Amino acid sequence: MLRYRSALKVWGSRKYSVLLPEFKLKCGLEIHTQLCTKNKLFSLSTNDAFAAADKPNYHASYFDVSLPGSQPKLNYEAILFATKLAVALNCQVSPVSQFDRKHYFYGDQPLGYQITQHFAPFAKNGYLELSKDLDGIDQEHRKIEIMQLQIEQDTGKSIYRDNEKLSLIDLNRSNVPLIEMVTHPQFTDWKEVRAFIKKYQALLRSLGISTGDLETGAMRVDVNVSVNDNARVELKNLPNTSSILKAIQFEYDRHVHIIKEGNQHKLLAQTETRSWNGYSTARLRGKETSIDYRYMPDPEIPVVKVSQELISTVAQSIPALPDAILRKLISQPFNLSLKDAKILAFASNGHGELYSQAELLPFYIKTFENYQEKAGKRVETKLPTSWIIHELLGNINKLSLPFSDVIKVLTPTSFSEFLILMTEGKISRPSAKLLLFHILKDLQQRQDKVPHQSIDFQSLIKEYGLNELKNVDQEELDELCSSIIKEVDNPALIEAIKTGQKRNSIKFLVGQGMRLSQGRIKPQLFEKTFKKLLRVDW
Amino acid sequence: MSVISNALKKLDRVALAQDKFNIFTSLNRDARRQLSENNDDDYPSKPLQNVLYALKDNITTTKLPTTCGSKILEGYVSPFNSTVAELLESSGAVSVGKTNLDEFGMGTAGLHSYFGPTFNPLYEGQKVVVGGSSSGSAAAVAAEVVDFALGTDTGGSIRLPAAWTSTLGFKPSYGRISRFGVVAYAQSLDTVGIISKDIKILKSVFQTLDHYDSKDPTSLSNEFRRKAKSLTRKNSKLKIGLPIELNQKDMPEVVKTAFYQAVDKLMKQGHEFYKVSIPSVINALPIYYTLAPIEAVSNLSRYDGIRYGFRAPTADFQDSIPFAVTRAAFGPEVQKRLVLGNYNLSSERYKNSYITAQNCRASMVKDFDKVFSFPNLLSHKIRNEGGLDLLLSPTAVNLPSSVAKYVKEENTNLVNSYVNDVFTIPMSLCGLPSISVPMRGCKSAGIQLTGQHGDDATVLSATQHLM
Repeated sequence: MLRYRSALKVWGSRKYSVLLPEFKLKCGLEIHTQLCTKNKLFSLSTNDAFAAADKPNYHASYFDVSLPGSQPKLNYEAILFATKLAVALNCQVSPVSQFDRKHYFYGDQPLGYQITQHFAPFAKNGYLELSKDLDGIDQEHRKIEIMQLQIEQDTGKSIYRDNEKLSLIDLNRSNVPLIEMVTHPQFTDWKEVRAFIKKYQALLRSLGISTGDLETGAMRVDVNVSVNDNARVELKNLPNTSSILKAIQFEYDRHVHIIKEGNQHKLLAQTETRSWNGYSTARLRGKETSIDYRYMPDPEIPVVKVSQELISTVAQSIPALPDAILRKLISQPFNLSLKDAKILAFASNGHGELYSQAELLPFYIKTFENYQEKAGKRVETKLPTSWIIHELLGNINKLSLPFSDVIKVLTPTSFSEFLILMTEGKISRPSAKLLLFHILKDLQQRQDKVPHQSIDFQSLIKEYGLNELKNVDQEELDELCSSIIKEVDNPALIEAIKTGQKRNSIKFLVGQGMRLSQGRIKPQLFEKTFKKLLRVDW
Repeated sequence: MSVISNALKKLDRVALAQDKFNIFTSLNRDARRQLSENNDDDYPSKPLQNVLYALKDNITTTKLPTTCGSKILEGYVSPFNSTVAELLESSGAVSVGKTNLDEFGMGTAGLHSYFGPTFNPLYEGQKVVVGGSSSGSAAAVAAEVVDFALGTDTGGSIRLPAAWTSTLGFKPSYGRISRFGVVAYAQSLDTVGIISKDIKILKSVFQTLDHYDSKDPTSLSNEFRRKAKSLTRKNSKLKIGLPIELNQKDMPEVVKTAFYQAVDKLMKQGHEFYKVSIPSVINALPIYYTLAPIEAVSNLSRYDGIRYGFRAPTADFQDSIPFAVTRAAFGPEVQKRLVLGNYNLSSERYKNSYITAQNCRASMVKDFDKVFSFPNLLSHKIRNEGGLDLLLSPTAVNLPSSVAKYVKEENTNLVNSYVNDVFTIPMSLCGLPSISVPMRGCKSAGIQLTGQHGDDATVLSATQHLM
């Protein structure tokens, strides 16, 4: 145990290597993101690079396989998605952009070239803003400028079987639409890189144009690193955020070391590409072995024309962006913590969630507003947050119940009434917990027979007899508590409570009381009674 | 004679013609049965019922292989039909087979096929070149084993063999006929066209194929087609231009004489002739031999042997160069053009070669726009109300020579064979509709009629005046 801890500490010190003021780090990002369009970029095959992992070459049409005589057919949904991203990143969308061919031979590149946008990219000159309060960077404010966005095809996948000297090729991913986003080399700290990546992911998800997941390869990040304006190094093979950050730190330390030794004119004079292997970076290739991609405009794909009207329509239709939502939620009247606000504002990953922010956020806001209005002066601002984010979502996860089913019976109106009942003391919090779980459990068991009628909490409380007991007979309560102490039959524990050795164990007794009274008696009342009976003096 | 018995007679000649001229790369063994199934000859229900045709073997069909005359696609059968094959099948025409060609369309004589050269049926037993690259298609029509054949024309590949076989060879406006299923050589130029001896059949086939196809991104829209149709004039007297750049002193005397006789005939019919200059036409050859090989480099990159076609039995990599062994299966002419194309596509040359060539191509389009009265519906920039209806020129500078002589000349100078396309390339670069019509009084020579892009109707209706 101890050894493990000390090992962790060593690792920890590596992880948090420091930026030295006389060695200036400069990073730029190149992020490839798969768009979740229905079809592929130039064919009608299903864009589903991962679901068919067990069926290689299943989502591959004639064009994806590059059969002779097949032709590209541009998918305009990809153009729409790209426009959304361009607008959200404050880019200038080119009125006319074109597709170009980038030539190189590889087994998973069936055309012998990739269709990309080299000469006239889709959009240029945008930016993304980072701030200290929302993104946790050191400076108050950073504006990271975006050089360009280009639309391009993804390649197929090679699966290497080294022992058989074979590589297998899966073209399900071939021709999936990608957006390549290139930033200016303006990052001076890896914290900013992390913040940017998180923010970019949140943006993609809230626009609904990509899952933004690094783990599945739906998003892939390459990093350019240079120190003190020496030649830059391009880092590849960075499968997740921690690799990205560790690779930058490793590379920074390596450059610092080279410069300190005075070897930068030898070792950092020319650009090179390096790959991250989990522990260190290793040289892949230098400038002298770079391939001539022999770019040329595609001779048959029509140029893409985007009108000002389309841009304005898209700008009006995109949802509020994560930053704006966060700012709204952390201020009056919601006053949420940043952590809770982030849960409501954007997804932590792109798939497999039981709820989406598109459903959750409006539910929260409507519930809050209804509750606030009805509660008047008695309003407890934290109540909607804790009951929606913690209780409701917690139960949903526990029961694997989709939020979309829940909101069919649990409308913001009924949920805010539920909160009012608590504020008015008509139901105790523990009873309310039980009741909510019961309602959701019931919903889960009905499965597809979901009643299309919203829950009436008031009548349920009556039905189950859950109203909080206002006037508890102290004698009866004393009796109940005495019997609990007896039943627990643990003199050592009782003694420990009495002496104050195990103060917290009194909660155990209170819990028994809550269970027996089905939560209708306030826990504070139980605690008081137990203390009295045990003559606790702490 | 009924259509069907005519067809059966043609089918009877196929085997012998194949023996003599090497026309086909594969034959439809089912043709006879298909003819008899359609045996309601007296009341043909379909426009091309029982009309026999052949397809150049760079057009995909599911029933016969599509080889492009290349070892690299030997035995390849496409899982899908080209749009033109679909349209012909549903119009009742019956396929005889797929025709030989210069590999991937690269060649002017029909000599550069993996399946050997095709010979000119007008010179039986003499081994005379037929012209290319639609060599087998022209030979099939000339040998009268089909009623028409489809070819592709990238720089003259239909018109030159049509001229040398004294047949009609029509290259429509770029974008008129779908290219879906046509294996690309240089798709900014590749155009599907028709070879036949019979202008009625040729027109009927064109009508069958002249449709917008959503599968082809370069197919002309329905809106364009409607507009072009509405602008078609019904002039009985045509204004015809004779471009001075498309007339060379060193043409054979017989060709010159026959050409002017044809002009004379048209004048007597009342058509007006004008001497015109289209100065940029002199750049046609260098533009073409810059752009076409560049596009070919790109389009032929897919032939790596992994997914289909020939694959070298040894390794996929040689000296860490991917697919080098497999790609050595390309023939010498294709390899030559790939080297040329790669040179011009390299990042150092790109600006001077590709960009310059594209600029020159654009100014050539403008030069043509200035002389035609029909507007360029794609650019709308220039309108010459009093301009010409058509241009007239010979199709080729030379008459076909023997295979031996041709090979010798080609070996002496790489560029010798390229010059054969000098009269046909400008129309390809500008996407203009153009037809080669047999020249009366001169075997194996053609007259080329050219109209403005989109004005195919005028070209086809004027063809009759020359016949």
